[in-house]
Amino acid sequence: MKDLPQTVFVVDDDDAVRDSLRMLLKSAGVHAEACASAQDFFSIYDASQPGCLVLDVRMPGMSGLEMQHELNLRGLTMPVIFITGHGDIPMAVEAMQHGAFDFLQKPFRDQELLDRVQRALVRDMENRARLRHTDRIRERLASLSPREREVLDLVTQGKANKMVAGDLGVSQRTVEIHRAHVMQKMEAGSLAELVRMMMAVAPPP
Amino acid sequence: MVGTNDNGSGLNGDRGPARVRTIIVAGQSSERTREVLRALSGFTNVIWPTSLESVLAQTSSKDAGCLVIADDLREEPIDEFLQEARELQRSLPIFVITDPDDVAEAVSAMRHGATAVIEIPPSYAALCEEVSRAMQ
Repeated sequence: MKDLPQTVFVVDDDDAVRDSLRMLLKSAGVHAEACASAQDFFSIYDASQPGCLVLDVRMPGMSGLEMQHELNLRGLTMPVIFITGHGDIPMAVEAMQHGAFDFLQKPFRDQELLDRVQRALVRDMENRARLRHTDRIRERLASLSPREREVLDLVTQGKANKMVAGDLGVSQRTVEIHRAHVMQKMEAGSLAELVRMMMAVAPPP
Repeated sequence: MVGTNDNGSGLNGDRGPARVRTIIVAGQSSERTREVLRALSGFTNVIWPTSLESVLAQTSSKDAGCLVIADDLREEPIDEFLQEARELQRSLPIFVITDPDDVAEAVSAMRHGATAVIEIPPSYAALCEEVSRAMQ
């Protein structure tokens, strides 16, 4: 599958701002798409598209903050850089509490925005790499039999084979066999690696 | 140490005796902010350690309820300090009190681990609400 290019989506209802930002990004060699509203963005956006969002806070219809809420609801983790000419602390705090990557007040220097966009693109790349990694772990987990999964859960809690055997009511030899299968299917080189994998897919506290 | 109160009541309302959680204040803060923070000492411990090092030491204590970074630390490199405090106590609520015009600083504080940023002059009700919610 061919990798899609990283794209910066500029969402702003002001034509002039949209065009100037697109030109600025283009001049820096960054692929950009402009949308006049949140609805326009959602109609063209494909979640497999890597990149980031430059989002105006105040827009008619769905505001920037409402759009961020919608992105969160849809599980879209694309970094969001808010831009606004009328920002205040409560607005900035709300945006950051809901996971904004950055919050820039207009007027800003071109370079200031470009620096933040570059950092946001790096963040998106890292997020996607992490997601691919956890997806691979989940696929391996799905390949385990129910008994292997029980053994995995117990050994990653730090239990020795003998204790696992006692808990499951099977022989220690059986546990050893299941454990070897778990290590092979999970592609883990050590118990520590197995524990790290489980931590990577554990729900946040 | 200034403004210490140890009345043992905690911020738990009518739910009976509770362990006293401490509000740690970093910086001396403006008079108005100080008044508001002092008023909170009617409910719980409020301490003003004299140095950032002792603030960090208090932050690691099991009684730490929240950390308030007062407005006079604006000139200090608070991002680094914030990050350090956050690393010491992952779940500790940290509030930064700042100038209402300084959106950039608020954003930076949030990025470095602040739970919320409160504008000067903080209203007693707003601060009390934030702190109570955080200490529960």
